[in-house]
Amino acid sequence: MNTISLKKLFYFEKTPLNLLMAFITVALLGAFAAGAVLYILHGHHAYNVTRQHPWGLLISMYVFFVVSSTGLCIISSIGHVFGIPEFQQIGKRAIAGAIITISSGFAVIALEIGHPVTMLIYNVLTPGLTSAIWWMGTLYGMYLAFICLEFFFLAIKENHTLSKFFGIGGLLVGLAAHSNLGAVFGFLVSRPSANGVFYPVYFILSAMITGCYLIFLMYGFRYKMNFPAKVEVMLVKLSKILGMLLAVLIFFEAWKILTAVYGDLPERGATIMHSIKHPNFWFGELILGMLIPFTIILVSNAKAIKATVYASITGMVGIFFMRYDLVHDTLLYPMRTLKISEYELAPTFLEYFPSFAEFAIGFGGIGISLFLYYVADKVFNLDESHSH
Amino acid sequence: MARYGMALNYKNCINCRACETACKEENGVLLGKDNYRIWVGVKEAEGLFPNISIASQTYHPSQCQHCSNAPCQLVCPTNATYYSKDGIVKVDPVKCILCTYCINACPYDARYVDQRTITVDKCTFCSDTRLANGETTTACQATCPTKVRVFGDLDDPTSEISQLLAKKEYRRVKEHLGTEPKLFYIL
Repeated sequence: MNTISLKKLFYFEKTPLNLLMAFITVALLGAFAAGAVLYILHGHHAYNVTRQHPWGLLISMYVFFVVSSTGLCIISSIGHVFGIPEFQQIGKRAIAGAIITISSGFAVIALEIGHPVTMLIYNVLTPGLTSAIWWMGTLYGMYLAFICLEFFFLAIKENHTLSKFFGIGGLLVGLAAHSNLGAVFGFLVSRPSANGVFYPVYFILSAMITGCYLIFLMYGFRYKMNFPAKVEVMLVKLSKILGMLLAVLIFFEAWKILTAVYGDLPERGATIMHSIKHPNFWFGELILGMLIPFTIILVSNAKAIKATVYASITGMVGIFFMRYDLVHDTLLYPMRTLKISEYELAPTFLEYFPSFAEFAIGFGGIGISLFLYYVADKVFNLDESHSH
Repeated sequence: MARYGMALNYKNCINCRACETACKEENGVLLGKDNYRIWVGVKEAEGLFPNISIASQTYHPSQCQHCSNAPCQLVCPTNATYYSKDGIVKVDPVKCILCTYCINACPYDARYVDQRTITVDKCTFCSDTRLANGETTTACQATCPTKVRVFGDLDDPTSEISQLLAKKEYRRVKEHLGTEPKLFYIL
């Protein structure tokens, strides 16, 4: 841990990339503040959520952040939990990223849950043990405690045994929490397009992919594309893992779509067909999120590290669309199927587009992540320490 | 203890919506597009002129189905949604955190956000208003000019609803989901 002054904290080399990142960070933090003010003034009226579409972009962004956190935790565990030597160097950076992203997720969800203080009280006093949200929230609370302790023993008071102990705990609790987050959607018997085993498993898979993308981005920025040999060896191996994970994801998605469409089950086949025809899926999820990174890894035999860093940007955009579609597609089919007013048509697939406040808070959360990562990088030595 | 349910002679419905108005008046439901506990769904006539099926145009009065196996209750993280001792599915506004998971989980679109309490609200079979004052009917039932609704105790074999369900065929909405709704649509 470095002791630094406030002046040093905000000093950075004025390269075009650093200035761009600083501008993006400040702009997003400002957006978050503006969105929070709008929410405080107008409550949920500041959002475009409705009775029929009660969840929107903020739930998507919460999932986006916690997926990122779990992914970073899983990928970091390859090194310092499972002991693969090349990956031990990413431990501190990845766990710092995991703490930062889940904190951003909590900041976003705090502005979506109507009564967060009531939640803290009655989650304990009258726990709903059949609720996936209860398990997800409780396990994520434990997960945050575990990874904070893991980071403490990795970066502040180095103790390999304890960091490994809390690392294993964080990994197991994180996996349980994250699959429960998938179950929040998978348990919805009223939503045939989401109901079932797919989401709890898919969440773990897509978390690992997100973790790989973020490691590429963090190292690409850290070394400005001039990777030391040791880092390059690790990134090549990570690239191979990413390629395999993407292949599995494409396989999973293909079968999810085929089984959903086959037989055209009521409410399921039509919903999935409607969602895959939308550019959010075929361009956002498929091309940006899967095919571009996968093709680069496949064609270069996982050796094009710099290209994979750039592909990780499109990959993260794709991951965003995966999270957005997860929420929107689940709610796509209307639960009220008859019209109730003379001046409306019979309900069909629901429309939703986020409001300014939702965009500001949701993307503002990325600003929180960028700012906290900048601070963490200054205050802690996130590179591998030699005594490790 | 009673186990309340409701039978609906929905083919008698004339879509006058007196039930919607009575519900709002009795329970203080606010005006607004999304604020309603009960509603009448309109199924429009099928076919092309001149072969329009007049019989296919029906009205479906609907509300919370007060399921015996309610998905909204299962998913509530704080047990704010609970079954009363009469089997009525209710929301405790003190415990509700407004995560709106129950709104997502309800297969019947029966829940909405009450702007008075900023918590989730739904039909309570008028248990806090009329039943609490000793009435035996709900507001929607009492006001209906064509006697669509019959409310009562399903466990009492002599109640009007039990007699009706013993004699008539009925269907329940989305029964295949295993929710065991307590609203019965008389065929």
